[in-house]
Amino acid sequence: MSLAPHRRGSTRDHPTLTTRLVDALRALVGPDAIVDRPEALLVYECDGYTLERGAPELVVLPRSPEQVAGVVRLLASEGIPFVPRGAGTGLSGGTLPIAAPVMVCTSRLQAIESIDVRNRRVVAQAGVVNLWITRQVQSAGLLYAPDPSSQTACTIGGNVAENSGGPHTLKYGVTTNHVLGVELVLPSGEVVQLGGAVEEGPGYDLTGIVVGSEGTFGIVTRATLRLTRAPEAYRTFLAVFESIDAASEAVSGIIGAGIVPAALEMMDALILQAVEAAFHAGLPLDAGAVLLVELDGPAAGLDTLAERVRAVCLRHGAREVRVAADDAERALLWKARKRAFGAVGRLAPNYCTQDGVVPRTRLPEIVRAIAATAQRHQLRIGNVFHAGDGNIHPIILFDERDQDEVRRVLEAGREILEACVALGGSVTGEHGIGVEKIAQMPLLFSPEDLLAMTRVRAVFDPDGRANPHKIFPDAKVCVETRAPRRQAAM
Amino acid sequence: MSAAAEGAAGDATHDLDERDGTIADAVDAIVPASVCRPANTGAVREMVRRTTAQGLALVASGRGRHLAIGAPPTKLDLLLRLDRLDEILEHHAADMTVSVAAGCTLAALDRVLAAAGQWLPLDPPAPDATTIGGLIAANLSGPLRASQGTVRDLLLGLRWVSPQGELVSAGGRVVKNVAGYDLPKVHVGALGTLGVLVEATFKVRPRPPCERALVLACDDAQSAVELALDARDAVEPAWLEVASAGVLAGVDAPFAVVVGWLGLEEEVADAERRVHSLAEAGRAVVVATRDDADAGALRERLAAFALEPAAAVLRVATLPDAVGSLLVEATRLAGEAGETLRCVAHAANGVARIAVREPRSVAALVAALRPRLEAAGGSLVVERTAASVKHELASLGGMFGDPGPGRTLMRRLKDAFDPQHTFAPGRFVAGI
Repeated sequence: MSLAPHRRGSTRDHPTLTTRLVDALRALVGPDAIVDRPEALLVYECDGYTLERGAPELVVLPRSPEQVAGVVRLLASEGIPFVPRGAGTGLSGGTLPIAAPVMVCTSRLQAIESIDVRNRRVVAQAGVVNLWITRQVQSAGLLYAPDPSSQTACTIGGNVAENSGGPHTLKYGVTTNHVLGVELVLPSGEVVQLGGAVEEGPGYDLTGIVVGSEGTFGIVTRATLRLTRAPEAYRTFLAVFESIDAASEAVSGIIGAGIVPAALEMMDALILQAVEAAFHAGLPLDAGAVLLVELDGPAAGLDTLAERVRAVCLRHGAREVRVAADDAERALLWKARKRAFGAVGRLAPNYCTQDGVVPRTRLPEIVRAIAATAQRHQLRIGNVFHAGDGNIHPIILFDERDQDEVRRVLEAGREILEACVALGGSVTGEHGIGVEKIAQMPLLFSPEDLLAMTRVRAVFDPDGRANPHKIFPDAKVCVETRAPRRQAAM
Repeated sequence: MSAAAEGAAGDATHDLDERDGTIADAVDAIVPASVCRPANTGAVREMVRRTTAQGLALVASGRGRHLAIGAPPTKLDLLLRLDRLDEILEHHAADMTVSVAAGCTLAALDRVLAAAGQWLPLDPPAPDATTIGGLIAANLSGPLRASQGTVRDLLLGLRWVSPQGELVSAGGRVVKNVAGYDLPKVHVGALGTLGVLVEATFKVRPRPPCERALVLACDDAQSAVELALDARDAVEPAWLEVASAGVLAGVDAPFAVVVGWLGLEEEVADAERRVHSLAEAGRAVVVATRDDADAGALRERLAAFALEPAAAVLRVATLPDAVGSLLVEATRLAGEAGETLRCVAHAANGVARIAVREPRSVAALVAALRPRLEAAGGSLVVERTAASVKHELASLGGMFGDPGPGRTLMRRLKDAFDPQHTFAPGRFVAGI
C-alpha cells in the first residue's frame, strides 16, 4: 500500500494525549479494550470510504454504555477530541479521525436489552448489528424495517448516526422513522435520555436531530426502536430492460400508477455482470438494466398489484418479467442486490460509491449525465440505484495505483453530485456528508442555513470535540479536505 | 423559493396589512398591541426583523384554529397572521412531493392533491381551518397516524424566518436526503418557538381506492384496547381507534373499537372478514360497517374529538397496551368527583384524548394522572382549555408537564435559534 491514498496526520492541532489520561482509560476499560500499537491501528485508518486515510493515536473499545460515558468523561477532563465509530461500514469517511486522537468504538455494546412484542418496541445497545434485531423478533412476526445493504455488519449506533436507509425505505421509511429514543453521551460525558418507548413526549424532538448528526453531538449508546409487522406475503420480480433509460421510465410508470412497492431497485449491465459472476442468480448478462421490484403486504390484493406492475414494465419495453418462484429465489435476488458493492471488487482493484438523490422523474437525465461523465473522464461507472427513491449509487471503478485515474474519479464524483443538485436533488440520500461531501454542502445550503446547523451543533457540543471537522465546510476543513485530494491525485 | 413567494423581499415597501390588536385577536386572553397579515415571505421577514430589533415578541398564527394549544405567552406584542401566504408552490405529482406556503389550508392542499389521485395522509381536525404552518407547529395528527405516521414522517424540507429576518432552510425537496442536520424535526410541535415557518415540502402518497371501517362494541376500556391491539396484530389496519360512549352517534355501548382500512377492494374485504371472525370469537359485537365516504366521515368525527367542546381536552401518551388501564383509572377518578369523561384513543400509538366537562375537575385530574404517566415514561399535555384554567395549572407542571432529561438541551436549543426570545415566549415546555 505504498501508493495508498493520502494519509492524514491526526496529531496536529489538538492537545496531546498524556500518559496519565491513557493510564486512566486503560484502568477504566481494561488493557484488552485499548488499541495503541501502530500496526493494530491500521484497521481503524478508514471506513468504507477509502480515498482518504488516517489512523487515530488510540482506539478505545468500551463494553457498556456506562463505560462509554466514563471514557468520554475522561476525554472531557483533558479536552481531547474524539471520533465515534461503530462497525466502520460507513461510506462517507464519517469515522476518519481529523484532529481527533482518540476513537471510541461502540462495537462491543452488543446487548438487545428488551423486546416488547405487544407494543412493538426494542431497546438495543449501539453495537447491536442491524440484522440481529430482525432475527431476534421474527418468530413473533415482527421485523426492524431499515435494511441497509450492509445490514449483516453495520450497527445500530452507526445507523442512528447516519440515518441509514436501504432498499425497503421506499415504503417503510429510513432510520429516523423507526427511532423513538436514544441515550446520548454528550461530549462533556453527561448522559442524557432523549425520547423513549412512548410516542410524542412534550418538548423539542431532540431524538429527531440526533438521528443523522453523524456523531457530532456525542455518542449514542442505546436506542429505542419501533418494530414493524412482517408482511404477510411478498411478490418479488425481476424486470429486464434493453436500456437503463427504459428501466428508468418504468420506475416513473410504476409510481405514476399509484403503486408504492416495498422496494424498487435498479442494476445496470456492468453491475449485472459483476453480481452474476459472484452469485449465479440467473441474471441476464445481455440486458441494459434490470429492475428488482418487491411488493409486500396482505396476501389479498397482492396479485392484482403484481399484475399492474408487470403490465407497466411490459408497456415500458421490458423484454421479460420474471417472478421469484419461492423464498429461496427471493433470497438469492436480494443477496445479489445487497452484495452488489462487494461483487464489484471483481471488476477493478478499487471502487468509489456515490450517493446522490434526484427527484425520481429525473432519473433518465442523471443516468445520461453519469454516462457522459464516465466517457469524459474515461472511467467505468456502474449503476445500482434505489430507483424508487431517486437515490442513485454510481460506482466508479479505478485502480488507486494510477494516480491520474484517482484524480479523474474524484472529479467525476464531484460532477455527478453537482448534476444531482442541478436537477433539484441532494448530494447524499443515506451515506452522510462525512468528509467526502463537505465541499458540496454550499451547493445545497446558504451561509445562513449552515450557520443554523453549526449553532445547533454547539448546543450539544460547545467545544466541537465530537467528531470534529465533519459535515461543515469551515475554512480550516476546506483546506484539509481539498489539499490531500490534490496530493492524492499527483 | 419561488419568486412569487419571496415577493417583495427587495422592495422598499411591504404589504404588511397592519392594524391594532383587539380582544378578538387575544391569545390566552392576552391582547397583542398589533396584528399584521403580511402578503408574502419578504413582508414576513421585514416584520420579524423589526420585532426583534425593537425587543418585542410575536406569536405566529395561521387561521387561529389551534391557538388554544400551548401555555399563555409571557409577552405578546404582535400577532403575525400568515393566512395570506396560501400558495401551493410546486406539486410534482410524478415525484410525489409538494411544496406549500405555510398559510395554505390542508383542505385547499387536499383539493389539489386529490386531482392527481394523491393525498398528504395526515388527518387532523378542522382541515378547512388548519394551515400547513399550524399543522407543523402544533404537530397535529389524526387516526391515520396508525399507519401513515405523523408530520415528522412526511416532512421533507422546511423554510423559516430567523429572528433577524433571514430565510433559513433545512432538508430538501427529494424523498430521501441526509445532507446536514434534520432541522425540520425540531420545528415539529415547537409551537413556533424556533422560527416563523413560511414554507414546507412533504412527500405525498397515492390516494387509496377504498376505505372501510368496522365498529365493534365493548363493555369497558380495558377490553376495548385489548381487542384493538388484537385486531392490529391480525390485520394491520390503516387506523384504529377506541372511543367511549357518547362520542359516536348510534353506538350504544360503553366503548367502541373502530378498525379502518385503506386499499384495494379485495384487501379491504379480506381484512373485514378477519375482524369479523375476531368478533365472532365472543369478544365483541360488530355494530356497524362503513364504506368509503361514510368510513372517511367516521374517521373525521374521531379526529374532530381533539376540538370537542369541553372545559379541557387532555392528551395522554403511554405505551399502547397501557392505554386501557389508564382510561379506567381516569374514569374512576373523574367519577369520584361527579365528572363523566369522554375519550378517544389512537390505540396503535398509545395516545388518547380525554374531554373534561367541568373546569373545576381539570386541575385535580392533571394532578392525579400526570405523575403516574410521567413515572412510566409517558406524558399528559393539556391541549385546549380556557386561560383561567391554564393559570390554575401553572403549579402542576403547566400545560406540558416535565419534558424529561432533555430539558436543559431544549432551553439551549431555543437560545440557539432565538436568543432574544422573540418567538412565542412562554408558550412551550419548561418556560420556553
